[in-house]
Amino acid sequence: MKIRFWGVRGSIPAPGPETIRYGGNTACVSVHPKAGGLIIIDMGTGLMHLGNTLLPGPFGKGAGRGTILLSHTHWDHIQGLGFFAPVFIPGNQFTVWGPGTSPNFLEEILEGQMDPNFSPLQSLKNLAAGFQVRAAPCGEPFEAEGLTITAREHAHGATTALAFRIVEDGRSFVYASDVGQPFADTGPTPETIAFFADADVLLHDTTYRPVDQATRRNRGFSSYEDAAIVATAARVRRLVMFHYDQDYTDDDVDEMAASCRSALDAHGGTAIELVPAREGEELEI
Amino acid sequence: MKVRFWGVRGSIPVPGRSTSRYGGNTSCVEVRPRGAAPIIIDAGTGLRRLGKSLMEESFGDGKGKTSILISHTHWDHVQGLPFFSPLYRAGNQVHIFARQRDMHLEAVFSQQHDSPYFPVPLSAMHADMHFHELIEGARFDIGKARVTCTRLNHPWIAIAYRIEVDGAAVVYCADTAPFADILFGREFIVTAPSLDQPLPADVLAELAQMRAGVVALAKNADLLIYDTQFTIDEYRLRPHWGHSHPDDAIAISRDAGVKRLCLFHHAPLRSDDDNDAILAKYRHVVQQQGDRFELASAYEGLEYTLGDE
Repeated sequence: MKIRFWGVRGSIPAPGPETIRYGGNTACVSVHPKAGGLIIIDMGTGLMHLGNTLLPGPFGKGAGRGTILLSHTHWDHIQGLGFFAPVFIPGNQFTVWGPGTSPNFLEEILEGQMDPNFSPLQSLKNLAAGFQVRAAPCGEPFEAEGLTITAREHAHGATTALAFRIVEDGRSFVYASDVGQPFADTGPTPETIAFFADADVLLHDTTYRPVDQATRRNRGFSSYEDAAIVATAARVRRLVMFHYDQDYTDDDVDEMAASCRSALDAHGGTAIELVPAREGEELEI
Repeated sequence: MKVRFWGVRGSIPVPGRSTSRYGGNTSCVEVRPRGAAPIIIDAGTGLRRLGKSLMEESFGDGKGKTSILISHTHWDHVQGLPFFSPLYRAGNQVHIFARQRDMHLEAVFSQQHDSPYFPVPLSAMHADMHFHELIEGARFDIGKARVTCTRLNHPWIAIAYRIEVDGAAVVYCADTAPFADILFGREFIVTAPSLDQPLPADVLAELAQMRAGVVALAKNADLLIYDTQFTIDEYRLRPHWGHSHPDDAIAISRDAGVKRLCLFHHAPLRSDDDNDAILAKYRHVVQQQGDRFELASAYEGLEYTLGDE
């Protein structure tokens, strides 16, 4: 499979000359299975740009089918939906898998985004494409786009988010954004390490430098140090840095990537390849 | 007074190389009467940076006071509010003005902070927040500034503001469609209607009245900031989206006798080069037609000093 980054920023889009190289759009990653099909993970503002590139294909003719995985429903993970061009073309079909004990619960939350006070679309029902909203079962693998996906709930401040492990012919991609206890961490649990274990690519929340995280524990995000520790413990092949704080400039992210490399080396992860996610870049898995 | 643009974009923030000169943040304008507290118009993502800059002043010590005038509560006009640093500091006073809705305004703004969407509830903000519900035609004072408003032609209804202070007037008209073709209200319009069909007389009368209200609001303004999300050709394809174009903004400016017109609320996919070309084209038009107002296109960081020095 191939994965592509459309939005790599956390919390709120951060436009400006100082975020051009890594990008200022909020979370959105696409996964393209070898046999075709499309999986989208999170619907931050990067989704608009992904949507526009899909229009020359089946999605432009209302013959597109896709799967959307939602880690959680904070704004920066859903705010691109109303600007995703394929949803305005009748015939396109999306299955949305996200958190919640029932699909009804998740659909209500997505509907809230389209409330007429806030969105000219006024309701999800006004989107022309078909949406099937489903509650992702945690710990029980399900099939989408011919791949096997497992979801796992983790702490994200006072709330939780889902991580996804996507497997194609024994190759695995783990998406773990917005990860963090609201209190000082004691390190990754055996269950977390098992979920990430031997991944070909682990995309992990690296919102903060450790020094900035220390003053903002309650927000529930990881530092690059946390990511380096868990990646090493789980013996992953590649670690992707993701969800940079909105205040970090490109130069800050360069420096965080260098520090993350040192952290990997210091913890015994010298063999792990480090990739700081950038908008528009692709990884082959 | 000083007028400074912090977000000039419509619909959705657009980070990236092609928008870095005009800026990709959604709507937010700061009006600073001389020696007085800032008045902010709209709370798009540009508000985040403005908030950081205010924290360098009395807001950092919890002694700041500001009023935020909201044109309407569509996302691109409110989504910066949860990231407005002065709200997280006790002692600051933030007054939010917006048009009356079915629900109390505080309930509308609380929704953006509900737990599925945002980690910090509105009730946990440390600043003193006050919500003020407006109806069209309301007139009120903020310190020495006089504020008036009128209705715009936009889905679910938006309002325009005029702020008069220090011997000058700035008028903010976003979001609005031209006052022709469609009368917007609360209904969802699925597809573009034919623009060649004559409208019923009562609809035409209501649109004409709304336009007259906008022209009166903008009368002799030193600066008119106007929704020009579309070019005229784009407008004809999407008249049901509730946005206007430079030809319409120029006609309003001419009728109102404004001194400066600033194109605003640029479409998300409008590149910096496109914006340059639109500005050059319409500066030529304005010159050819002998209009006396200055024409500019809003970019992040653009600042005007108006009125008494």
